[in-house]
Amino acid sequence: LTPDMEPIPCKPLFFDLAMNYLELPSLEDKLESPGKKGASITG
Amino acid sequence: MSKDTNPKEALIKAAYADVHKFGSNQEYDKAVKAVNRILGVAPEDQTALHCKVVCLMQLSKFDEAHKFIEKNRLNGVLTFEKAYCEYRLNKQQQALKTIDDGATEQPLEPKLKELRTQILYRLERYEDCLDAYKSIIKNSSDEFEDERRTNLSAVAANLALDKDREVPEVP
Repeated sequence: LTPDMEPIPCKPLFFDLAMNYLELPSLEDKLESPGKKGASITG
Repeated sequence: MSKDTNPKEALIKAAYADVHKFGSNQEYDKAVKAVNRILGVAPEDQTALHCKVVCLMQLSKFDEAHKFIEKNRLNGVLTFEKAYCEYRLNKQQQALKTIDDGATEQPLEPKLKELRTQILYRLERYEDCLDAYKSIIKNSSDEFEDERRTNLSAVAANLALDKDREVPEVP
């Protein structure tokens, strides 16, 4: 009743490299030190 | 009264410091709570909305992240994030459409190209996938070259299953 065993190709290894690109946005302009705001041209 | 003593701004600044800290430590469950504090007082803050999506995705909450993107009409800005959620939710056709309709740059920026190539693999479009990987490998130099070559071999292995064709040359 059981069918004969048959070889099948193994599933090749495949990496998810797109996930490495998932990053938080730059928070640089949100983290400036207090008191500097508006005081300099970079603020 | 100076701007910095504004309680709302102070709260946002403190919360962003937490987002940055927890994000750097990959403690995304804590980071998302800090983001929620920002969105509580500034629900339209685009940076915070973006942060929330990334945190949810890092926590593997792809369905929630996808709904959040749609609800907040971030489709136009977070093309990669939306398509990646769809990829992980097994909506490959939709993911491909998101990239092809949403991309403003041609050629695609590297992250979209990498994701699009993985989508082609899932869609079993191995010939297109092979060409895309060859192009990525030619144009990139990062720490994932070995993994990318492994993926290229996986594509070649799938193409080789077709007995009518020759095993493609892998660079």
